[in-house]
Amino acid sequence: MLLKLSFNSLYARLLTVGMTVLAISFSLMLYMSVEKLRTSAYTSFTDTISQTDLIVGARASSVQLMLYSVFRIGNATNNITWESYQDILNKDEVDWAVPISLGDSHKGFRVMGTTEEFFTRYKYRGGQSINIKKGHLFDDLYDVVLGAGVAEKLQYDINTPLIVSHGLQSFSDHDDQPFKVSGILEKTGTPVDNTVIVSLAAIEAIHVDWSTGAKIPGQETPIEEIRKMDLSPKNITAALLGVKSKLTIFNLQRWINNYPEEAMTAILPGAALQELWRVVGVVENLLLGISVVVIFTTLIGMTAIMFSSLSERRREMAIWRAMGASPLTIVGLLMLEAIFISLISIILSLVLLFASLSVLQPWIDYNYGILVNIEMLSINDIYVFVLFIFASMLISLLPALRAYWFSINDGMTIKI
Amino acid sequence: MKKSIYYSLLISAMISVSVAEETRQVDKHEHGVGVLNIATEGNSINFEFMIPGADIVGFEYEAKSDSDIALVNAALTKFEQTDNIFIIPSPSNCALVDSKIKIDQGEEHDDHDEHDDHDEHDDHDEHDEEAHNEFVAHYSFNCGNVKEIDRIDFTYFNTFPNSGELEVQFVSGVGSTSFEVEGDKPFIDLKGKI
Repeated sequence: MLLKLSFNSLYARLLTVGMTVLAISFSLMLYMSVEKLRTSAYTSFTDTISQTDLIVGARASSVQLMLYSVFRIGNATNNITWESYQDILNKDEVDWAVPISLGDSHKGFRVMGTTEEFFTRYKYRGGQSINIKKGHLFDDLYDVVLGAGVAEKLQYDINTPLIVSHGLQSFSDHDDQPFKVSGILEKTGTPVDNTVIVSLAAIEAIHVDWSTGAKIPGQETPIEEIRKMDLSPKNITAALLGVKSKLTIFNLQRWINNYPEEAMTAILPGAALQELWRVVGVVENLLLGISVVVIFTTLIGMTAIMFSSLSERRREMAIWRAMGASPLTIVGLLMLEAIFISLISIILSLVLLFASLSVLQPWIDYNYGILVNIEMLSINDIYVFVLFIFASMLISLLPALRAYWFSINDGMTIKI
Repeated sequence: MKKSIYYSLLISAMISVSVAEETRQVDKHEHGVGVLNIATEGNSINFEFMIPGADIVGFEYEAKSDSDIALVNAALTKFEQTDNIFIIPSPSNCALVDSKIKIDQGEEHDDHDEHDDHDEHDDHDEHDEEAHNEFVAHYSFNCGNVKEIDRIDFTYFNTFPNSGELEVQFVSGVGSTSFEVEGDKPFIDLKGKI
């Protein structure tokens, strides 16, 4: 009876109530999308690399080393020499190692030189391997393997010729040594998707006529001659390592960090990610805080609307009283109203959230490499909803008490 | 922090005088920040603590006076009882199989003998004064079931009131992660991490 009454009363004021519901739904949606993006970004990040025990690069902060070696964000402080890399390889603790060499680009995509072992050793999302979708790995010196994103964005296919540019944003190209696409990888949702992968020897080959960052003028070694040259690398940017036993990781890490001949840093990828996340966490909390404030603002807005409608509804209250409703019933009615409004808002916000996420998901994935998981609600979300309903009930007590006072004073006649 | 930068500058300056032809690098050394590495594989779990002397006994020079030596010895004894440092949940049935506790004098100490050969190296004593003692403790456990370890509590912060934070690196078959542990929240949560 009460339920029906309050529902009908709400329905009679559809426009104002509708606007309130809309405002609340949007604020709830804002909160939930921040929360969803936050958790998705975290899993995307942590899923990027797995089963690599250590990453070695030139002496740098652990976060920086991880960002440039795994996420291709920022640049290396230095390279490490091939000799030091060999020294690390010869350590008993080391099970496998994959060298990577960065520094060149193709149309804004980073070019990475590595060995074929990269494709079997690099794992993501709890141990998944990279699969080749089309073509094959390096057969020839000038073969490149493209990440799924590169192939898609540049519309490249097998055998498409391409030229690697020197550096990340320069106008000098390695145009004397054209490459061709030999393979395209399956989508991984990791930075590998946006990487152009060549062999380490190819990186050496394209820099044959270059010295200290510039092309030596007039010197152009013919490709046939380059093919015959010794193209073993002189330095690499970083290396991914696997150890035989996890118990020896820290010994190896210490050995690398204290390696006297060259200043190097070895990091545990997960530990560095966590460190990065502690920094990002501040911004995250800020966003979350803002959306909580927005929710509160709309709650206050809802109360304001209830207050202002109270004076209009004194006649309605008087009729209820005449029908035999006690002042307490009127309090109950108003609180029920608030619960209705918040329930409808929650449902609407969920509809809005899932609709907008399913529209935006491919775009976010494409542009930021973050796969937002559109899944059902977490326990945390439900907890927030319950809390929200309680908050709206509490806050609706204010107008309800005022209505109570009105109804006691007014009785059935309104004295305005 | 500022002090430690000053110290390390001073040390690097001194080392560069004595070993000019060798490579020069100095480990970072930050008062108030201890390092803990935890690794687990199979049913073993290893802990290695590297804690600046200042965090344990309040000084980092070589203990010479009786009272200083007593302090250092008392601290070393405390390290021998793992309960004073950390607590592993009992359902995991972990038993200590090996432990090594020592004081590390820092890198500059390694070239010590070499220094002795140089007659001109008069500032020898001074060098000792500037040493940065570090407490190094290794513990190896064998466990009935490592998967039962869902958190580790650190009594370390109560045992040594001078202690600052612990930078923890953790690695297991699941992957690696890191924690920053401080006295007001003296534990790490390892649910799903082993």
